[in-house]
Amino acid sequence: MNVRLITSFGFAVLRLSTPLVFAALSAAICEKAGLFNMAAESMMLWGALIGVIVSGATHSALIGFLAAMAAGAVTGMLIWVATVKGKADLMLAQIAINLASSGGTIFLLFALTGEKSNSAVAIKSLALPKINIPGISAIPVVGKILSGQNILTYGAVVAAIVLSIFVFKSKTGHHIRAVGENPHAAESVGISVPKVYFLAWTIAGVLGGIGGAFMSMGYLTSFTKDMVAGRGYIGLCASSMVGGSPIGAMLCALIFGVADAVSNQLQLTNAPADLVLMMPYIVTIVVLVLLSVVKHGRATRKVKAKS
Amino acid sequence: MEALKMEHITKIYPNGFVANKDISFTVQQGEIHALVGENGAGKTTLMKVLFGMEQPQEGSIYVNEKKVNIKSPLEAISLGVGMVHQHFMLLPSMTVAQNVTLGMEPKKNGLVDAEKAIAMTQEMSDKYQFGLDARARVADLSVGLMQKVEILKALIRGAKVLILDEPTAVLTPQETRELFEQLKLLRDNGHSLIFISHKLEEVMELCNNVTVLRHGYCNGTHPIEELDAAKISRLMVGRDVVLKIEKDDPKPDKPVLEVKDLVCVNSEGKNAVDGVSFTIRSGEVVGIAGVEGNGQSFLSDAISGMIHYDSGSVKLNGQEVGGMKIKEIRQAGMSVIPEDRMTVGCVNDLSVRSNAIADRYDKKENMSGIFLNGKKQKEITEEMIKEFEISCDSQDEAIRFLSGGNIQKVVVAREFTSGANFVIANQPTRGVDVGTAEMIRKYLVRMTREKGIGSLLISADLNEVLEVSDRLFVMRQGKIVAAFPKANVVDVDVLGEYMLGIKTMTAEEMEGLL
Amino acid sequence: MNNAKKIETWFDLFRILVAVLLAYVIALIILGIISDDPLYVIGQFITGPFSTFRRFGNILTTMIPIMFTGVCMCFVYAINKFNLVGEGAVNLGGCLSACVAIALSDKVPAWLLLIIVLVVGALAGMACSLIPALADQLFHADVCVVSLMMNYILLYITSYILKYRIKDPGSSITASYKWASSLKLGNLIPGTSVHFGFLIAIACVVIAAILFYKMSFGYRMRVVGMNPVFAKYIGMPVMATIILAQVIGGAFAGIGGTVQVIGMFQSYQWTSLTGYGFDGLMIAVLARKNPAFVPLSAFLIAYIRTGADIVSRTTDIPPEFVSIIQGIIIVLVAAEMFLSRFKSKLIFNSAKKALAQKEGKA
Repeated sequence: MNVRLITSFGFAVLRLSTPLVFAALSAAICEKAGLFNMAAESMMLWGALIGVIVSGATHSALIGFLAAMAAGAVTGMLIWVATVKGKADLMLAQIAINLASSGGTIFLLFALTGEKSNSAVAIKSLALPKINIPGISAIPVVGKILSGQNILTYGAVVAAIVLSIFVFKSKTGHHIRAVGENPHAAESVGISVPKVYFLAWTIAGVLGGIGGAFMSMGYLTSFTKDMVAGRGYIGLCASSMVGGSPIGAMLCALIFGVADAVSNQLQLTNAPADLVLMMPYIVTIVVLVLLSVVKHGRATRKVKAKS
Repeated sequence: MEALKMEHITKIYPNGFVANKDISFTVQQGEIHALVGENGAGKTTLMKVLFGMEQPQEGSIYVNEKKVNIKSPLEAISLGVGMVHQHFMLLPSMTVAQNVTLGMEPKKNGLVDAEKAIAMTQEMSDKYQFGLDARARVADLSVGLMQKVEILKALIRGAKVLILDEPTAVLTPQETRELFEQLKLLRDNGHSLIFISHKLEEVMELCNNVTVLRHGYCNGTHPIEELDAAKISRLMVGRDVVLKIEKDDPKPDKPVLEVKDLVCVNSEGKNAVDGVSFTIRSGEVVGIAGVEGNGQSFLSDAISGMIHYDSGSVKLNGQEVGGMKIKEIRQAGMSVIPEDRMTVGCVNDLSVRSNAIADRYDKKENMSGIFLNGKKQKEITEEMIKEFEISCDSQDEAIRFLSGGNIQKVVVAREFTSGANFVIANQPTRGVDVGTAEMIRKYLVRMTREKGIGSLLISADLNEVLEVSDRLFVMRQGKIVAAFPKANVVDVDVLGEYMLGIKTMTAEEMEGLL
Repeated sequence: MNNAKKIETWFDLFRILVAVLLAYVIALIILGIISDDPLYVIGQFITGPFSTFRRFGNILTTMIPIMFTGVCMCFVYAINKFNLVGEGAVNLGGCLSACVAIALSDKVPAWLLLIIVLVVGALAGMACSLIPALADQLFHADVCVVSLMMNYILLYITSYILKYRIKDPGSSITASYKWASSLKLGNLIPGTSVHFGFLIAIACVVIAAILFYKMSFGYRMRVVGMNPVFAKYIGMPVMATIILAQVIGGAFAGIGGTVQVIGMFQSYQWTSLTGYGFDGLMIAVLARKNPAFVPLSAFLIAYIRTGADIVSRTTDIPPEFVSIIQGIIIVLVAAEMFLSRFKSKLIFNSAKKALAQKEGKA
């Protein structure tokens, strides 16, 4: 019994962490460019919906997945247009986009299928495959946790590593970090700040889109309204815990995944579901506050130490 | 060979301010050319024009005797013109090599070739004996080394003409000496350097030719052999028109502000204000002259409560200011005309009235019960408009629509009518038209004579500080380095020598004057 | 006033109108594309809200809750903090008011109970708003993220209270016990669903406008929002003002929840967020942070919403498409560059004209 509980819990942690990791990576690339990504929420929502629609239409999970990425990217580009080209306030623009996406996805679903909250009946969408890892699946407990996850769960790890290499080792990654740290310095050596922002928003969009695809083509197998439910914000929180480092953001997302899994597990007990569902959000606030305290404390200490 | 020539450069800003008027100067290959001038003389604008950050209305630029058109910093860089900004353009979290090669990183297999970047940087650093470790993180470097990273950045991009904007302002004497050796090495390697500085002994030591700017005009280029520090100071610091303000002798009474051993530490850990003591009495204007950035702003902010000072004491009418809220300081009798009227002195989008009554809207006599008294506010504002001849269409007009002079009049009117007996006037007439400036100065003097207020005047305008002040201090590197009992008899040349560090008074000389 | 100033002053209004119009047109195009009978749907959307007296009443009824949240967001927006907890404050205000109403029904007179529940709503809203405000000011945690998280927490708290504490087992839907019918806000305009909450909302707008423009706190708040450095320099308590503004805003949102619950229902039934908070943000943006313009902006939003409701009832199109319009309006109004080229052209032309006139005279 106990072993089974541990395996199923561990399995759930990884499963539930997956969308959070993508959201965190989406926020991380923006954070590295000095941007505050509150719109991972929208990117995921569009990714989830478009993934379902396209995979249903083409009978190909892969094409659906690619479409989800594209949908996320377009969302990111829209934010870029509004804030860089239109000089709209970044916060206000993202709030607006989140608002429009929440309604827009429902509306698009309806326009195509006549359904208003769930695509399950109307669209025969495909799920992304689960993967058994030959060697590992044989190991007791650990194998059961690590193997048999959705391909995107492994994809999340790969994405974090690739993003980390991209940010820290590639030329473009250098430029993104330069802009994030000091746009004037970057500009003074000929790096175009708007271009870097465009790139950051697009990559963030792609990552968000993948996270969304996992939600509707892995975690569930259909789109339901507002299914992202604040995961974008939780990812943002995870990323800011580690200053936007991709690997760190992934690990922090795991913490929130644990909170999610605990809350899922408790739902099976007699505990009131609503109070249990609250947990990940409370954890987010507490972590965010603690983190800001630490960060701020460090900054003031630094100034003091220098003097 | 002429490495660089700027000819008849005229730059007028959209607001009509003439920053450069018909300036010409030539930099030879392999020389260090000093560009000196007071604050606002036009040095920065001229260099911005050269570096492609501003476009001049008239004039032409030649690099290597070829006429060029520089439209952006990038074009300047590609022409071999590099600039070391006063505020470093660095990325602290990255390594020296990453900073130096930013934007031109060598690549291998699609990724940045970190080893090659390090090798390139190290080679360049060694060649000019910069003593940098290419792998070190910039955040861990001293300010002096950071500056060398900046210079390397320019050199690795092939800069032949290097602009150094007050490079020694942030350095210790040792670092400065080291920098000079390296700059001379660069010169001997055929680079041309433009050295912007206020420190005349440095100019004398380092430079071959000196071009002096004054009030936007060029005051000639002189070979260093023909000059000495006093001569440069006279060329730089001059009064084109001597301003005269009629005033009676002050009758200083009881002290209103007593500053003792005040120390303020800036974010770099340096003492921006370094043990300053003085007393201001009612009925007098005490002026502080000095090159900007020598601690005057910190002094003003510390006294007015905008920043906390690190040690010493500031007493306003006998009350210690440290630990008081700004509101309490104001209630205790202080008014402040801030240096930057647009970001500190007013709220752009609010009306003239809302700006005028900002310090007294909640006084009992200006409220009707729990409500704001609009009628009273209108009266107060109307009075200010009349007395200070503020030109505006109506009180309800947003203040940003007013001219700079009129905005300043609103600020001055508010601060002078607050009932305070001590006023800090920090650059009260900067960027203001002549008429308004004269009015503000006269008003300041009149208030001290008639109302017996004490005032601290901080100004980069020598005319102003000499004529308006009764006593005069000179501030340099956070310290008071000279004190004069009667400002309007101080010789400008002598003043310049104290400001620029050619001379310093001893404590005994200043005894009784502070 | 010279021409450039005039243009600047009027241009804001013009820009908002164009933004709304543009968003509206986009909505029409979308409606036209997806419906089988575009003319009918569009007709319903545009003229539907005015077609009957009852429907016109629906506009006013829809205005009620969003006037409260609009006022709330005016306070929050005035000090430039995106504290979006108004959304959750509506739920908590409504829910706690419902608890009190159920507990005290028939025990105290209706007028007293009304006052009590309004106070409870206000306090609930203040508490909601205080948490993100403190997290921001004391700990430098981002107020926007904290408030969004708060909204989920508040939703689950209220839904817990509803399901586990005050649920009426006899009811076929998830609903609380009923409170005394005497508490339900009376009808204001016969033949419509407009209730007395409308007057309470207008009263709140008036109070907010007075607070904004006639009292020292409002003045301080506007100064802090526009230039905190100036506020510090002139001696205003910047942090206290920022926190207090958010708390007052929260109070209005909480009252909004109360009024909506006791005005529309006789039991508490919300199991999801209402969206009124986000409507409030848009209203505040449209009203340019001025509470006096809240009723006008709220009318506009309510008109669009009512149109969408009618469309959704007659044709099955979900009313959520309104949020697309909202998003577009917010972005367009917030985007400085939107129509800015047109503005500079206007100013340039008028300057040229003025110059020509001058020369002509000379």
